[in-house]
Amino acid sequence: MTDTDIKISIRNLYKIFGDNPGPALEMIKDGMGKTELLEKHGHVLGLNDINVDVPAGKTTVIMGLSGSGKSTLIRHLNRLIEPTAGEVWVDGENIMEYNEKQLRHLRQHKMSMVFQKFALLPHRTVLQNAGLAPSIEGQNERKYAEEARRWLDRVGLQGQGEQYPHQLSGGMQQRVGIARALTSNSDIMLMDEAFSALDPLIRTDMQNLLNELQAELQKTIVFITHDLDEALKLADHLVILKDGFVVQQGEPQNILLNPADPYIEDFVSDINRARVLRVRSVMTRTPDASGERAGEIDHNDNLESVIALSEGDTSLSYRVMKDGKPVGVLDMRKLVRALVPSAQSDDPESARRSG
Amino acid sequence: MATYDFVFDGLGLRNWCGNSGDAGGGMTSMADLLAKTSGKDAVESPWATPFPSMDELHQACTNFPQSRALTSGLESGFMSIKDSLKVVVDPLTQPLSWALNEALWVMQAVPWFIMIPLLMLISWAVSRSVKLAGLVALCFGFLAFVDYYDYTMQTLAIIFVCAVICVLLGVPIGIAMSRSNRLQRGMIPVLDMLQTLPPFVYLIPLIFLFSVTEPKLYGIAIILYAIVPVIRLTDLGIRLVDPDVTEAADAFGMTKTQKLFNVEIPLALPNIMAGVNQTIMMSLAMVVIASLVSAPGLGVLVLRGIRSLELGVGLLAGLGIVLLAIILDRVTKAALARINVSQSR
Repeated sequence: MTDTDIKISIRNLYKIFGDNPGPALEMIKDGMGKTELLEKHGHVLGLNDINVDVPAGKTTVIMGLSGSGKSTLIRHLNRLIEPTAGEVWVDGENIMEYNEKQLRHLRQHKMSMVFQKFALLPHRTVLQNAGLAPSIEGQNERKYAEEARRWLDRVGLQGQGEQYPHQLSGGMQQRVGIARALTSNSDIMLMDEAFSALDPLIRTDMQNLLNELQAELQKTIVFITHDLDEALKLADHLVILKDGFVVQQGEPQNILLNPADPYIEDFVSDINRARVLRVRSVMTRTPDASGERAGEIDHNDNLESVIALSEGDTSLSYRVMKDGKPVGVLDMRKLVRALVPSAQSDDPESARRSG
Repeated sequence: MATYDFVFDGLGLRNWCGNSGDAGGGMTSMADLLAKTSGKDAVESPWATPFPSMDELHQACTNFPQSRALTSGLESGFMSIKDSLKVVVDPLTQPLSWALNEALWVMQAVPWFIMIPLLMLISWAVSRSVKLAGLVALCFGFLAFVDYYDYTMQTLAIIFVCAVICVLLGVPIGIAMSRSNRLQRGMIPVLDMLQTLPPFVYLIPLIFLFSVTEPKLYGIAIILYAIVPVIRLTDLGIRLVDPDVTEAADAFGMTKTQKLFNVEIPLALPNIMAGVNQTIMMSLAMVVIASLVSAPGLGVLVLRGIRSLELGVGLLAGLGIVLLAIILDRVTKAALARINVSQSR
């Protein structure tokens, strides 16, 4: 996070749903809880003092259970929902000060959105749906067709441009949704539970597609999900929400190794750690990696591949390489310890560095 | 003595009433007269206690108005605003008269050998169904064969003009209603009233307002009666548009107008078309009643059947209206079905 620019910066964002949010906001700032606010004043606390920096060109995943406010939060980024208080800075401009015209410009050119339920226009063809953004600017179909078709091809919908959305399967419809976002040529993509409505297998396909596209295009992606496996697969930066406030944020590996509270511990206890954790998170960092080693591994390998390599022998240790240079040593015993959630590593390297 | 004397006595209003009931202005009702002739007005069993209606209270107090004063008050009230109302409404609705006259003239001026193929072509264009075009030809052919061609064309012309105006007025009203909950709350009772008021009742104030020879008289009656479904279903259709899709339209920066014409109306179209279908059916029902106020067409024949007991004429004209209804319903439903196919999920 230190070596990248910040694209979107959310500052002290509050959202309270109800008839009279002003006084309710003061009460929240004075320390009233969500349940108390609802019981005594009939207002619902949506977001509570959110501060998040979204790095440019990376995927930021906002994760939380339903009701945690994640969908509310993402809709503040393009002001589909107006906040009760707070600021959202995009490229150094506070979009809360935008007038209607500036806001439309932001939505047309800087941010695109992919929806959980696809939200395609049923009366338009796939090609016309993909070209929604240019058509809103007033371009006719002939003009945007080439660009739209290029993105449809890229997401794997060759030759489907003349179909109507209802003729496609769910996974294909969401590909149209992604092509629509890409055709708008915006730097920022907001994805609201984009893959939650799909079958598990198709969901994996789509995650792979998104990772491929991201490696190629380096968009700034804000991805909402309630699925930790999905979050860990996609995230460069992970934000965990609970009841409208940020519980923990930072690099996913760190959150996994050093959960900040029992809520996150619960979350991370069920996942396949060997597949998610990388060598760099558990290795002992030392420039001097000479001595007897069983072999060399890359710092970005996951632990599963190292276990496969060692064939289960815990007496081995490996030299960890980064860009062809040795950066550390990984002891198999340490690796095995890292696989058990409660046995936290005392390695200073992986101490909590939350954002 | 009248039954409710005690009310006015009790309230101390006897002086306002003038003299007591029976000594005063004389007999006012048939019941009074009967009572007088039978000579037993004092004997009243409690079972015969009348409701304290205006007429009964008038008996007790001559200054209390009778119910006929209410109806005549309504009448004179309407008469007094009639002239100023006419100044506003008359020029406003004049185009309706022109449109109806023109449509009637055109539909009758075009010869049958052009008109029937044209109607077939239109029904084919909306439905893409050769069968339906055949049905149209069959029905109009039959009606022309029994010499009802002119009447049918007149009815069709009136329905055409009224339905178009209903759509032109009804769709914007429906859109406005879908935008504002307050307007919706205000409009729904009005629409309910328009829909439930017996059709004949529309005609009464209109007869006072316009001369019976003017086409707009029946035009307004038909439009008022038939506009309701298109308004209701436009409102419903726009409110039922998937909020996810309108949110997507917002998220990609559509203006309100773009959203209305590119998202909301197209997605509400199946409902709007269902409303148009109902509107056409209701204007067909009204056009028969409107023949009472000089609307030409098949309704005139039905009326003739009733007035001069020409059973055959009435039945055949009724059959003609049914045939017309079938055609109009099938053609609009076919158009609706085509929209539904292209949008179904």
